[in-house]
Amino acid sequence: MPSPSNNVAIIAVAGARKTEAVIEGALGDPSRRVLITTYTNENLNQIARRIQAKVGVIPAHISIRSWFSFLLSEGIRPYQHAVFGEVGLVRGLDFQGKRNQFAKKETRGYFLDRHGDVYKDAMADLACHANERSSGSVVARLEAVFDQIYIDEMQDLVGYDLDFLQLLLESRIDVTAVGDPRQFTLATNQGSRNKKYRGAGLVDWLDERTVLCRREDRSTSARCSEGICEFASALFPNLPPLDAEEQITTGHDGVHTIEPHEVHAYVETYRPVVLRDSKTTDTLGQPAMNIGVAKGSTFDRVLIFPTKPMKKYLADGDSTKLRAPERLYVAVTRARYSAAFVV
Amino acid sequence: MLTKIHIQNYRVFESLTLDFTDGLNVIVGNNDAGKSTLLEAVHLALTSRVRGRLLATELSPHLFNQVVSKSYLEALASGGNPPPPEIIIDLFLEELEETATLKGTNNSSLENVPGLRIRVHFWEDFSDEYASFVANPDDVRLVPAEYYKVDWLGFNGNSVTARSVPATASMIDASAIRLQSGADHYLQQIISDHLEPKQRVEIARAYRTLRETFTGNDSIEAINVELADTQEGLTDRKLSLAIDISQRTAWESNLVPHLDDLPCQFVGSGAQSMLKVLLALNRTADACHVVLIEEPENHQAPASLNALVGKIADRCQGKQVLVTTHSSFVLNKLGLDKLVLLTPFAGLRLTDLPKDTLSYFKRLPGYDTLRVALADRIILVEGPSDELVVQRAFHDMHGKLPLEAGVDVISVRGLSFKRFLDIAKPLGKRVAVVTDNDGKDVQTARAQYSDYTDEGKISVHVGDAVDGKTLEPQLVSSCGRSVLNGVFGTDFASDSELAEYMTADKTASALQLFESTTTLAFPSYIRDAVAI
Repeated sequence: MPSPSNNVAIIAVAGARKTEAVIEGALGDPSRRVLITTYTNENLNQIARRIQAKVGVIPAHISIRSWFSFLLSEGIRPYQHAVFGEVGLVRGLDFQGKRNQFAKKETRGYFLDRHGDVYKDAMADLACHANERSSGSVVARLEAVFDQIYIDEMQDLVGYDLDFLQLLLESRIDVTAVGDPRQFTLATNQGSRNKKYRGAGLVDWLDERTVLCRREDRSTSARCSEGICEFASALFPNLPPLDAEEQITTGHDGVHTIEPHEVHAYVETYRPVVLRDSKTTDTLGQPAMNIGVAKGSTFDRVLIFPTKPMKKYLADGDSTKLRAPERLYVAVTRARYSAAFVV
Repeated sequence: MLTKIHIQNYRVFESLTLDFTDGLNVIVGNNDAGKSTLLEAVHLALTSRVRGRLLATELSPHLFNQVVSKSYLEALASGGNPPPPEIIIDLFLEELEETATLKGTNNSSLENVPGLRIRVHFWEDFSDEYASFVANPDDVRLVPAEYYKVDWLGFNGNSVTARSVPATASMIDASAIRLQSGADHYLQQIISDHLEPKQRVEIARAYRTLRETFTGNDSIEAINVELADTQEGLTDRKLSLAIDISQRTAWESNLVPHLDDLPCQFVGSGAQSMLKVLLALNRTADACHVVLIEEPENHQAPASLNALVGKIADRCQGKQVLVTTHSSFVLNKLGLDKLVLLTPFAGLRLTDLPKDTLSYFKRLPGYDTLRVALADRIILVEGPSDELVVQRAFHDMHGKLPLEAGVDVISVRGLSFKRFLDIAKPLGKRVAVVTDNDGKDVQTARAQYSDYTDEGKISVHVGDAVDGKTLEPQLVSSCGRSVLNGVFGTDFASDSELAEYMTADKTASALQLFESTTTLAFPSYIRDAVAI
């Protein structure tokens, strides 16, 4: 029986080849039944494509599922009777609807909408609940089905997701979770559960569980140049700083600021990918990509149209006043060589 | 391996739960007891197909149990709003590594085990249409199957696909062999399953090459050149002849198995079903492979049936085989301990069958054990003469023959009654045994059967020793010498001479009694036996 210490959480910076580590691990031993899961469909598809690019097809011993699909089909449906007293009741996922805050806990309406779809923020809660009410059958079944579970972008797991992760860590299944708290941009769960462990707090959550799960840090970025690493490190003074893997100079490196009237010439000269906060951001007519969507991608150069708080930070360098350093971090670390801000 | 099935509202089964054993399960039952439906349900749960077609495309009101349909329609007619009935087939599987993902409690008995479920249920998307449909209950004559959908699920509550089901089934229906064009669906399936994946690929490739060469043949090429010239003005495109090599017309439908160089459809039905059974039983590929055989006795001469049944018994090691049969021979040969007596409500087994009785019927498979299993009521007698007399006595009392009243009179022909009672007792049959006292008093004669009569369903009827040891003197005592002299046209002066005359040719004299129009007073123990 593998000991719980076979669990590992890899906290790695942008460009530290996190996803690559997951893919190589999963392909490594075909005798182990492996699940790879991650929160976003974009990332899930990217993992599938990268495995296909390496070995042609997804091997039979590897299952790739989104976190919600995993919770629904492996965590909730098999033992739904233990919670609802009915079988075949749970249909799918209600991504839009919100659960009724006033519904009584443990009632059907607390977890499900009227069609039998599970509310998005009730998913992990319900899976934990099903496990508890079935005296651990959910985990026992998973132990019979999977030898190893890889979780990519673990920083996206919040609220009850962490409680379900806790169950997995305590199980006989080996869990490898990789993530970068600095890239926390999506909240899968709006509730107050485990709120203090969101974003950079994830590290605290892990540090409280060193017996269950070994923590490994990878601070070397194979992607970003030195100047970008420095800028990104300053955003999270409480986390270990980023190191650039090698020194590359292209003549225009690191982080810069330009004024709006320079944008056109800058784009002509350096051909950066233009990043914006949301589609309402004025990009002076430049075609642009939302920062959230750019997550997981790499570009040579980026040009960023910052939000007001970002501009303020660029002026005073006070990271304590920056409410969403994660977005700024994601934007800057997309670039290999240079990132420029329009101020 | 399959451990259990639960069927709800499907055809003849309103609610049936049946346990399976490893190896052989021999399913017997009267017509309409649901033997074929049971195999169909197992196959359905494993493949989501009925007779080779997806259940979803075959949905009809007639799939629903009639009793359930009727109570639903009556509830509608009386102004109620009953929920539309559902069909459920739950197939429980053994816990293995391969079945681990199918585990969960989404089944009828809420057991935490792996399994597969077919659920045919009302489709909520049609709620509005349904509401207006049932608004006029008088127009609703059948369950509205057009508003239904089919779910094929694991007990984990998730959908399954043919690929994700770790068990496979081969269905062999010897009673309805369909071989219009080459191999029928089941034979195709069996052959295809029998081959290794690599062999299948090789066949497919060779077949494709063969068809491509056809087009390259000189005479075909010449014809195609001609065709291209002669269609002026019809179309601008080029017309030519070639064999369809698309996936749809794959080798399975065109390659035909041959027996002694005869294409399978020209071989006798008996040999065809033999071939299918053997192919299915020889398959070694999967850990969990179920062979479903319907009535192997069809189209088989006694000698080849013996061979076929022998092979079924030999080769089912490590496999699960479900066989339905109407033949006592098949049942006895495969082993009475494998018997499942099926009714639409339950399946009964012969557990704890004495070993010597089991091997006795295996060695002498000609005995009509199936009649014991299937009759409502049974009268066991010693031989043909007793049978005739009992038949006549029954007719005199009830105005009809025993079979017309659902009573089977079985002559055990020198065999110990106890062998048959070993089968009848665990099946809960009502049996009257009519036997000679052989000089013993009634109490002693009955005492031999005390192990069987303790539950009150089996009774033993013997004549009083003072009226004679066997049937004939008993008849003389009860009917009277003059009446019997009249029946036989004889003139015996003593009872013993008359009894000796009758005993000398038992069957002939019994037949005369049976056919006689004279009113006869049968011994009271016989009247007791037929009165029950």
